[in-house]
Parts: sequence; structure tokens; C-alpha cells
Amino acid sequence: MKLYIRATGNISPQKTFGHPGLLAEIVEHSGNRLYCVEPDYKAFIDVKQIRRMSRIIKMGVAAAMECLQEAGVEVPDAIVTGTAYGCLEDTGIFLSKMVEQQEELLAPTAFIQSTHNTVGAQIALMLHCNGYNNVFVHRGFSFESALLDAMLLLKEGEAANVLVGGLDETTDTSHAILSRFGLYKKEPVSNLNLLAQSTKGTIAGEGAAFFLLASQPTANDFAVLEALTTFYKPANIQETEQHIASFLSGQSIVSSEIDLLITGRNGDMEEDKVYSKLEQSVFDKVPTVNYKPLCGEYPTSSAFALWLASNIIQSGSLPPSLEHTGNVPGKIKRILIYNHFQNTHHSLLLISAC
Amino acid sequence: MDKLIQDLKVQIIAQLNLQDVKPEDIGDDQPLFVEGLGLDSIDALELIVLLQQQYKIKLSNAEDGPKVFRSVRTIAEYIREHQPQNT
Repeated sequence: MKLYIRATGNISPQKTFGHPGLLAEIVEHSGNRLYCVEPDYKAFIDVKQIRRMSRIIKMGVAAAMECLQEAGVEVPDAIVTGTAYGCLEDTGIFLSKMVEQQEELLAPTAFIQSTHNTVGAQIALMLHCNGYNNVFVHRGFSFESALLDAMLLLKEGEAANVLVGGLDETTDTSHAILSRFGLYKKEPVSNLNLLAQSTKGTIAGEGAAFFLLASQPTANDFAVLEALTTFYKPANIQETEQHIASFLSGQSIVSSEIDLLITGRNGDMEEDKVYSKLEQSVFDKVPTVNYKPLCGEYPTSSAFALWLASNIIQSGSLPPSLEHTGNVPGKIKRILIYNHFQNTHHSLLLISAC
Repeated sequence: MDKLIQDLKVQIIAQLNLQDVKPEDIGDDQPLFVEGLGLDSIDALELIVLLQQQYKIKLSNAEDGPKVFRSVRTIAEYIREHQPQNT
């Protein structure tokens, strides 16, 4: 059974919202943190509702609305979201107030809005959607888990279309804490030359990408979502290679039949060793694009990769602004996404033309 | 009373994060809930917290809520009636 990506909506550190042309220009960010390019939300969300929404809620709701608008669907059968960090800004406000006010007289809004299911719930409230609504909080597998749930709903006939999204935000507090863990580069860096630096750490990213998945095709679908798999903490590169080979053979293809590989290479000298080794073995001679210089590193960044793959498949070719290695065919019909988050959460997604 | 009403309008806008609303946009006797400013039950909780934080006043009877929070003026009157002498 084929699952169709009917529409997408994406707010990211690139100019992606409103489909202004696929990466017509790449936005450069200096420093080790990428910020989303955000629209004027008042054009999409009622001002009476916007006042309670933190940044990630606005990003999620606006990306979801764009996706539904493009799909021509007013109310989806189900809404499934994936987020590792949830609504961090409201969580930070709520926890800070608890300390400052010695656990007394706490204002309710930040607490109410701080839960991980806030975005999915807010979308449902705005649409009056009483259907299935779920959120997956599973670190580097959060978006993949949401996607898997959506695929199961469609395959089992529980829904004809599902709005599925992956989203995470970086806040000043989370950036400071994760910097202390050594996740981000200490030296000055630009996202445009991120992969040229052979040093420790990466750059922080964020984003909200939504997709309308459907079990039936239309004339305007972006792509077909063929398959998805995840594997956790492979013991060594051989085990990773085995997972990839098994995934491809399960789809009855070999790596030479992949038109384009999109990888999660993030500029961290340790984490990127995995990609370098695979490019000399299972992905040898496969044309490759690396997506994290565009959106930064965050646990649900594979949602950005899926958005990129869907849009490349729809247009059939790579935008000239996007750097790549290898010989890309004239018409791109099949894309494999391979990402790992901190070399623990590994995922593979196979996308093809309709 | 006028100063208290003016202060309350500023505090309500800040506490409820009202967008594109200035103190002069809120009438002293304008209804706050449903019609008028269109506030809801979460806002009512925020206003209760505001009264406690800014004026050390605890709404003793929840059933008084609709009457107390009808307008900025009724909130100001409630504060005047219940504010401790030394604050």
C-alpha cells in the first residue's frame, strides 16, 4: 500500500514558509545557533488566541495550517505530532516562576501551555477536530514515531488522511544547558561552512514541519512515502551497514537505485565519522546532500529532511543553491534519508515519485 | 480610584498578554468576559493571581468572581473594599 504526501508546511531557519521557491537562496546564520525565519503569525492565527501561544506553538500551528491549506483539507482525520523538547519556553517560564515565587501564586497559562501535546491539541481546538490526536516524545525518534503511527493509521484504514508533524525549539536556557554538555561548537562558525570544520560539536537548530499523508492519491501529491525504519545504538559500523542493507532489500532495491541520499551530517567530527564510513561502503557512489547546514541539529530534524526530500521529488531536481556530491540524475525519483541523532537514534526514510 | 483603574488596565494587559490593546482601549465599565475584551476562564485564573500578587487580596468566595471581574471598575471597587490598610 502506498502512502501519499499530499502537502507540506515548514517553518525553519531557511525561507521555507509559504513555498517561496525551493531554497531559492540559502540563509546564512553566524554563531552556533540557528533561528527560524518566522512569518507574521497574525495573518494565520486569531490575535485572541495568539496571545497565549509561545513561539513553538505559533510555529507548529502556522506550519500545520499552511499544510492543510495546500492540501485543501479543512479537518484531517487524525493529528499526530512528534517533539522531543516540547514547549520549552513555557516550561522555562513556569519553572522559573516556581522558584522565584517559592511555589506560590503561579499563573496558569505557562503551565497549561508547557506540555508536549500543546501544539497538537491547539491545532485540534482551532479546527474543531475531534479525531485521533497523539504526540510522541521519544528523543531522536520523536518524529519517526509520529510518522510510523500515521502510517499505521492509514494502512489499517483508521484514517484516510493524517496531519503529522515534527517540531522542536531552542531557547536561551536550553541552548546554554546543551552548550555545557558540549553539543555545540565553541569557535565562530557559519552554517554555510559547517561541514568544512573538523572540530567537536555542531550547531543548534529548530523547526516545525508538517505533512498531510493520505492513503489515496490525487493529482497534486508531492511524493510517496515508501518505508521507514529506526534502529537504536548500533554496536559498530557493521551493524549500521546491516540495518541499511536489510532496509533496502526489504524494499527490493539496492543502493545504486537511489537517486539521492540526504544525510544528517552535522559537522561534529565524531558523529560524522558514521556518514564518512558509510559513504565508502553502502553509499559508495550515491549522490549526497547534507541537510543540517540548513536547519541545524535538533531531535526532530528528520522532519526537515522529509520536507526537503518531498519538495525535491516534486520538482524533480535539486535547487541550484544546494551543495551536493556525486552525479545527480536529470530526474530525481527516489530519495533515501539517513539520519542519526548523537549516534544513538538512527533512522531511514525512503521517498519516491508518485 | 482613577489611578487604581488606570494601573489595573496596564496590569491586565501585561498579565493576559493582550495583543494590540492599549489601556485607553479598555472602558472603565466595559465587560471583560465573553463580550467586550472576550476573556475566558483561564483569564479569570490569571486575574485571581494578579489580585493576589499585586494587591495581596484573595478572592474569598469563588461565586463572587463574575461580579468582581465584570469590569475594571468592579475590580477596582473590590480592591478598595478588601485591600489591607497598610498596603
